[in-house]
Amino acid sequence: MIQLTATPASALVDEPVHIRATGLSPFQVVILQASLADEKGNLFHSQAYYKANEAGEVDLQQAPSLGGDYIGVHPMGLFWSLKPEKFLMKLVKKDVVNSPFLVQIKLYDSNLQLTDIATTAPKVSLTLERWYVAPGVKRIQVREGPLRGTLFLPPGEGRFPGIIDLFGGIGGLIEYRASLLASHGFVSLALAYFNYEDLPAQPEKTELDYFEEAVNFLLRHPKVLGPGIGIVSISKGAEIGLSMAIHLKQVTATVLINGPNFILGIPQVYHGQISKPLALSPQSLSINALGLAEFQHSFEEARREASETSLLPIEKAHGHFLFIVGEDDKNLNSKVYAEQATQQLSRYGKNNWTLLSYPGAGHLLEPPYSPLCCASEISSLHLSIHWGGEVTPHAAAQEHSWKEIQKFLRKHLVPVVTSQL
Amino acid sequence: MFQLTATPASALADEPVHIRVTGLPPLQLVTLTASLKDEKGNVFRSKAFYKTNEVGELDLMKAPAFGGDYVGVHPMGLFWSLKCQKAFRRLLKQDVMNSPFWVTLNLYDTVGLQDFSTEEPIASQVVQRWFSAPGVQRVQVREGRVRGALFLPPGEGPFPGVIDLFGGRGGLVEFRASLLAAHGLAVLALAYFAYEDLPELLQEIDLEYFEEAANLLLAHPKVQTPGIGVISVSKGAEIGLAMACFLKQVVATVCINGSTAICEFPLRYKDLVIAPIPTFMERLQFDISGAVRLLHYRGDPRDKVNQRSVLPVEKAQGSILFIVGENDECSKSREYAEQALHQLQNHGRNNGRMLVYPGAGHLIEPPYAPLCYASPNLKLSSPLLWGGEPTAHATAQEHSWGEILKFFRQHLIQARSKL
Repeated sequence: MIQLTATPASALVDEPVHIRATGLSPFQVVILQASLADEKGNLFHSQAYYKANEAGEVDLQQAPSLGGDYIGVHPMGLFWSLKPEKFLMKLVKKDVVNSPFLVQIKLYDSNLQLTDIATTAPKVSLTLERWYVAPGVKRIQVREGPLRGTLFLPPGEGRFPGIIDLFGGIGGLIEYRASLLASHGFVSLALAYFNYEDLPAQPEKTELDYFEEAVNFLLRHPKVLGPGIGIVSISKGAEIGLSMAIHLKQVTATVLINGPNFILGIPQVYHGQISKPLALSPQSLSINALGLAEFQHSFEEARREASETSLLPIEKAHGHFLFIVGEDDKNLNSKVYAEQATQQLSRYGKNNWTLLSYPGAGHLLEPPYSPLCCASEISSLHLSIHWGGEVTPHAAAQEHSWKEIQKFLRKHLVPVVTSQL
Repeated sequence: MFQLTATPASALADEPVHIRVTGLPPLQLVTLTASLKDEKGNVFRSKAFYKTNEVGELDLMKAPAFGGDYVGVHPMGLFWSLKCQKAFRRLLKQDVMNSPFWVTLNLYDTVGLQDFSTEEPIASQVVQRWFSAPGVQRVQVREGRVRGALFLPPGEGPFPGVIDLFGGRGGLVEFRASLLAAHGLAVLALAYFAYEDLPELLQEIDLEYFEEAANLLLAHPKVQTPGIGVISVSKGAEIGLAMACFLKQVVATVCINGSTAICEFPLRYKDLVIAPIPTFMERLQFDISGAVRLLHYRGDPRDKVNQRSVLPVEKAQGSILFIVGENDECSKSREYAEQALHQLQNHGRNNGRMLVYPGAGHLIEPPYAPLCYASPNLKLSSPLLWGGEPTAHATAQEHSWGEILKFFRQHLIQARSKL
């Protein structure tokens, strides 16, 4: 009797699942498949081949995948190697509160040809729930003054460390990272800054005053611990996160994921002062073998001609930094920018930083078990942007960095209570 | 008055084109694009960003591209970096005799992220890329069991004969044979499955079919005797190597990224049956693009249990040239070639040689052919991954073609005094 178990059946999307198959023939080779439909009905699939042991069992925590979408021992490989049926479609959860992603895990005999799987019933299957919120997390829409976003409150009494969550050049409002951080005990403000509601569609400048208001808003909230808040930011959002840390004393812990150490594209304005950006050189755009556009060298010319004053004055920041770098980032030269920023800090005698550099990881570092999105279509530009990353090391980087991000935020936002005799 | 020139305007597809721009402002950033439409209507495009020099000129033989589909000095970059809008399309000329590929070269006086195909260029040139030369004859072959097309160079001959074998794609692929004929070889593009009345699927390699083809070629009045060459790629190269081992008519064999052991289906030659090395479907891998990597799918020919499947290369009487792409995602080409050369050495033979190209993939084609990253396959619903890094692959194609022509000239052209 073939049995397939996966526990826990319902969990947060960043929690691992233990998958096991029993009742197989000794050394039988089977195919394990995962499938998921996103909220628009787009399908994602993954598969791996496993060989049962002498007792006819496959335990994904011990058995190596022999082939398919990943190889080797990867208990969560079926999740992070999910691939869209529609090339380049990214897996994104829009409604983070009311429903989970449903992931179907199926087991097939490996004697099947790959082409037959679509029409054959699996030997056994089960469905898992993957949630973006823990029970009790509250979601509150924010429309205070100019601020637009969503606030997520952890369940329970008392105060919690507060963080602002900033995504990048895609704009809009992305909630899934903030909702997960709230599930781990942070008051999280997913903050939109363009291309959302009445915010500008294509801003011509970044107004840091807007972000200062968001910081003050968060600190005013009765459930926020204070006196400082944290920032989790990626890409263009990390340019803003770094700038906030420089100008605002209340920002005491800043996570910068694959961000620049200079101003990208459009100028910044703070208290009336304008800071100029570095210009992108379109002629330095590189197109790879698959026709995907790589921008990681497109600021080299501007950086070569610029002086240090064109870089963000990171030494002026009071808080701590956690730099997270995907070394295979094809969109921004993240490793070079982060290293230059930390060298600048060292030159000023500051050691308020940690740099985590992940070989094989790309630009879009997300919470654990998120499938790698290696490129996205930008229809207005008739091109697809290569984000970079190799599937297996990118997954490892997501798993490791997520834990480090939470440790870092807790360390610098939650005061240590020492007992005194 | 600015000018865009591309010479020669009409040439063989394996000949380089010299692209130049004059009369522009000095140190101006410009965009050059190339586009072509294949016989199925698929559009292929490429682009590169350049800067004119202090006198407002641009010579692609000297100037580096800053970005686009390639970077650096690559005079033919616009050709070999052509990409299809639709993923996984292979650029393959079907009618090699009657029409060329027309490649439109456009010049724009800006650089940017926009789609240049919707903009008006400031200058444009069309070049013709032919797969045969004037005077080359194409003869459809349907004799006995043999199916294919024979390409004869102009003139009386006799010419060295070569059999051209492609791989698991099946059907009849003619463009390489026709190009070789333009270089003075009599080439039989030979089909062996999925063509006319040949079997639809490849289920075994019947070497007597290939012997029939070799004898047919040698019997042609315009073909030199007593020996012929073979040029073969992928699955074709496994057959090509078998021909070299067992058929004394084969005196010069080029094997491009092939296995040196029988794989997947058995080989039969008269009484001899060589069983294939087993394949392991569980070792198939899926690349991020969804294409299938076959690299680890076959058993190891160095395994003791698989020795009976390894081709007896020491029996080959002629010379063998192995061409290997190190970034081949389909076949462990380097390992196979090294094993075969080792086997030759062990038998005191030195008639084998290997050319290894770092960065090149599985489908090493004639020069300036765009890299095909992956392409659809009859058997699997997913495309097959071929591998290769575009710039290195282009270099490999250019270099190996010269070596292939030299190899055939060296081993097939009989010593003749020339005045």
